[in-house]
Amino acid sequence: MSWLRIKTVIRRHGYVLWRAPHRWFDIAFWPVMDVILFGSLGTYVATAGDDANTSAPYLLAGIMMFHVLFQSQIAVATGFMEETWSRNLLNVVTTPVTEVEYVVGTAAFGLAKVVLAMTSLSVTAFVFFRFDFGEVGWGLLPIALILTLIGWGVGLANIGIVLRFGQGAEILIWGSNFILMAFSGVFNPVEALPDALQPISSILPSTYAFSTLRDLLDGGTIETASMIKGILGGVVFLFAGAGFSVQMLRSFRKRGMVTRFS
Amino acid sequence: MRYVLEARGLRKTFKDVEAVAGIDLCVGVGERVGLLGPNGAGKTTTLLMLLGAITADEGTIMIAGHSLPRHRSKAMEQIGFAAGYLPLPDRLKVREALGVFAGWYGVRNHKPVVDEALERFEIGNLGGRQCSQLSSGQRTLVGIVKATLHRPQLLVLDEPTASLDPDIALKVRTILLDVCASSGAGLLVTSHDMREVEMLTERVIFLARGNVIANDSAQVIAEVYGHDDLEQVFLTIAAEHGR
Repeated sequence: MSWLRIKTVIRRHGYVLWRAPHRWFDIAFWPVMDVILFGSLGTYVATAGDDANTSAPYLLAGIMMFHVLFQSQIAVATGFMEETWSRNLLNVVTTPVTEVEYVVGTAAFGLAKVVLAMTSLSVTAFVFFRFDFGEVGWGLLPIALILTLIGWGVGLANIGIVLRFGQGAEILIWGSNFILMAFSGVFNPVEALPDALQPISSILPSTYAFSTLRDLLDGGTIETASMIKGILGGVVFLFAGAGFSVQMLRSFRKRGMVTRFS
Repeated sequence: MRYVLEARGLRKTFKDVEAVAGIDLCVGVGERVGLLGPNGAGKTTTLLMLLGAITADEGTIMIAGHSLPRHRSKAMEQIGFAAGYLPLPDRLKVREALGVFAGWYGVRNHKPVVDEALERFEIGNLGGRQCSQLSSGQRTLVGIVKATLHRPQLLVLDEPTASLDPDIALKVRTILLDVCASSGAGLLVTSHDMREVEMLTERVIFLARGNVIANDSAQVIAEVYGHDDLEQVFLTIAAEHGR
């Protein structure tokens, strides 16, 4: 593995981000809109209900941590899609850069986007709702780790699906986030889901991450066993996504599909 | 003879169509070879197999001592590839795009290397332009610069001058010959311009329906087919073997 080639992947995507104002929507505009939407919703629910406890922290913390998964996922997936959108894929696959180097580069670039998005989210939440995310403490780190691993795994799986089914399948890059959001109990305990759907939540490591997040907001501590389970689940997601995309890449090369993207 | 590229028994079938039918294709160190054939002969499929972008059903490929697909990354360090039909990355300036490719090819200090390469092709003025704003001819030139940045042992060019004006195409051919002579790089080039092939190559491989049907110097092939030049040979082969 070459660090120079990985750094070059990061630089390549840095140029694109710098030159494409609409890409800033993902890391600056939409996160701010999400905070305003969910913060307002939480504030309203709190004032409309009998319970004096405000719902805003649950909603704000949920959406903020969901952006960790979201940004990690789309950074990996759209890093690859960038080459297909500019019909540059053949140029890339005929260089010495390996699949692993390319993915590591986009994942590292994704981490930078996570930091930028989290900054947007935190500042907005504090300014408009006086919600200080930093007060939740270091317990956020293992939660962020789980969500990042899942994001990378799902991003890789989405690349595999696009390699297999073509660019029409890229809708899943954004759609998969909403599927995960619905089943992971981002804002509420998964017990609130219909009974028939709860088994899906129980196999998602993101469910443990968001459940732990709510425990922390309630003043609780991190349950080590639950976090280990979540991290291991995240690793499984990552390897499953990587394995699937490698298989799809093999099939892509065998079927000579590269010309379809060039 | 020492080969920079040695492919043996290459075969590729897409569904029921045999695109490449078990061919051998070798390029000696510093040798310049043309790969010709009518549309559908299997040229691009062959090139893409040699570049590791398509997996061969059968056969072996060695590039500068590295086998494909196992050592693809090492092998690609020794190849420079350009195609007349390939675009460049959107949203990057020419100098940035070339710097990115230089990094992927392992060039550490890319800025002077990129500047020198642009000057060699006399297109230093394009360095600050957005890739998406280039004309097709300019894009082709930048693509060729990209292929030569890391001083590869083998240049693989697919229709390199297809979209260039005759004067620019001539300049590119002259520079390519100079690059090959000065660096000792081999050349494998496809083209539909037979004069270009005669100027650039020492040996020509004609493909038709996935098979090698001629493999010799342009002059010898023309004699064998009873013609004066490759253009007439091409027309004869296309009439006999065109799909």
